[in-house]
Amino acid sequence: MIGSSGASSLWDLTVEETARRVAAGETTAVEVLESALSRTAEVEPAIGAYLEIWADEARGRAGRIDARVAAGEPVGPLAGVPIALKDNLSLSGHAVTCASKILEGYVAPYTATAVERLLAAGAVPIGRANMDEFAMGSSCENSSVQVTRNPWDLSRVPGGSSGGPAAAVAAGSVPLSFGSDTGGSIRQPAALSGIVGFKPTYGRVSRYGLVAFASSTDQIGPLAKNVRDAAVGYAAIAGPDAHDSTCAERAVEDPLAGIEDGIRGLKIGSLREVDPSGLGPANARCWHESLERLARAGAEIVEVSVPSLQAAIAVYYVIATSEASANLARFDGIRYGRRASGANSLAATYVQSRSEGFGPEVKRRIMLGTFALSSGYYDAYYGRARAVLETMRCELDAAFKRCDLLVSPTSPTGAFKIGERSADPLAMYLSDIYTTPASLVGLPALALPAGFDDEGLPLSLQITGRPFAEAQVLRAGRAFEAMGDWRVAPTFKNRPGLGEGAIPP
Amino acid sequence: MALTTEEVRKIATLARLRFSPEEEGRLTAQLGQIVEYIDQLQAFTGSAEPESSAGLPEGQDSVLPCLPREVFLANAPEERDGFLVVAEVKASEAEGS
Repeated sequence: MIGSSGASSLWDLTVEETARRVAAGETTAVEVLESALSRTAEVEPAIGAYLEIWADEARGRAGRIDARVAAGEPVGPLAGVPIALKDNLSLSGHAVTCASKILEGYVAPYTATAVERLLAAGAVPIGRANMDEFAMGSSCENSSVQVTRNPWDLSRVPGGSSGGPAAAVAAGSVPLSFGSDTGGSIRQPAALSGIVGFKPTYGRVSRYGLVAFASSTDQIGPLAKNVRDAAVGYAAIAGPDAHDSTCAERAVEDPLAGIEDGIRGLKIGSLREVDPSGLGPANARCWHESLERLARAGAEIVEVSVPSLQAAIAVYYVIATSEASANLARFDGIRYGRRASGANSLAATYVQSRSEGFGPEVKRRIMLGTFALSSGYYDAYYGRARAVLETMRCELDAAFKRCDLLVSPTSPTGAFKIGERSADPLAMYLSDIYTTPASLVGLPALALPAGFDDEGLPLSLQITGRPFAEAQVLRAGRAFEAMGDWRVAPTFKNRPGLGEGAIPP
Repeated sequence: MALTTEEVRKIATLARLRFSPEEEGRLTAQLGQIVEYIDQLQAFTGSAEPESSAGLPEGQDSVLPCLPREVFLANAPEERDGFLVVAEVKASEAEGS
């Protein structure tokens, strides 16, 4: 049974408290890890968040951290914190497959900069987590390996594409995980799984070692149980990197320095385009209560308009698929990954390897992107999408002249049922309405728990900031969180063979 | 706009993908529906000023170490004597068939 002995369990500590205790020698990284591994063994059969668990290697790494502590050597801000990595982040010598058959057997020959920094900070990766194939999806159902279940209700999706990292944190397997966000792939699963997810400004975190989907919007970020932990995770990976020319040179502001300073006097823009009738009664109520909570925290709520928000999904699905069709051309069965057997020409190798190796959603997006870039359609689709994107950028710039931060719901709905939207790709795309603008324009955006719907499923607020205003976004998130009493304590509802609610968090 | 099966076949050729007749039918309908949704872009005003890439630093034009050959080849589907093995460029079979 999935049980818990409460907040005293090491697996249930915050990131900050774990690192503090390990650094102070009050507990060991090995004890923390064993607690996380044992919790993972309990919950993993129900949720399926991981594609691979690196228990032995993690034990070695935790032991080395303890040795450093014992020797009086400095340890980092994530000392002994168990983490999960989305299966598109490279860790040298380990498989990285993007949950795709086409990358079966591929072993990362180098480590992503973000992962390198996590290791330097003392984090202990315990495994690679499931995702929609090549990060294409909003439910984690497009993984070629397995479905991941939402810890709040096992008959529902955890969101996607970082569904594995989100479910791992929500279920208590790890207190911190890392995903990538191209159109909402950190924020939407965080929303559906009742946790915090943060997408930094485009260029704030190096993409070196992240398998590319749409290079103009891909960004790595943390998922955690609370805002401070997300800030610690973010601070560990942010900053310039010579390996990624799109990574910003500017210094990183310490997001924890003023995180408790509150939001009194800040102007927070509420988007006029948020249509409460499209949210459902519970989410609409939650949205209004969120605005009230921000006002009670001392913010001034102003209404702002970004009319092109209505076009965000159309713009996103042209630009992201166009970039994906180019980026995924490299998977051709020649240099790495799966090669089809029996092809007797070079061209046939490409076609057969790709047709066998990619799943349906990836093929659909490659097709859509190839169409949007093809002769005769380029101006009407790709060119047009770029132009509307510039309009959106101008409208958001104008909005940020009237306010410091923008808020909206993160997702129009709570977690949906497994299989509910898988036959209708467009319906799945429409769940990205609120997350795609920050991706397209490259803004930092935080998703955090805001309430429950009528079925006890988590709902989420999104806070978006100006470029590189990560510290301000996190400060506002912390102020919002501090006025609530959210606890990540999923109920594991609808577990096969057991009655609803039979399993305590 | 609706897409025809012919167009879907042409896109598949460009994308180096092949579909069964059943998949082709499904894709034609799904892509048609998605493209129809995307057509709403025509109703939005676009900005004349495209995003400029100015401001992005340029990479140094200098020789840097790259992945060692043996590390690169460790992921190769087939290798021989330090080289990748691939099928003939021009084989009897027509391209992509």
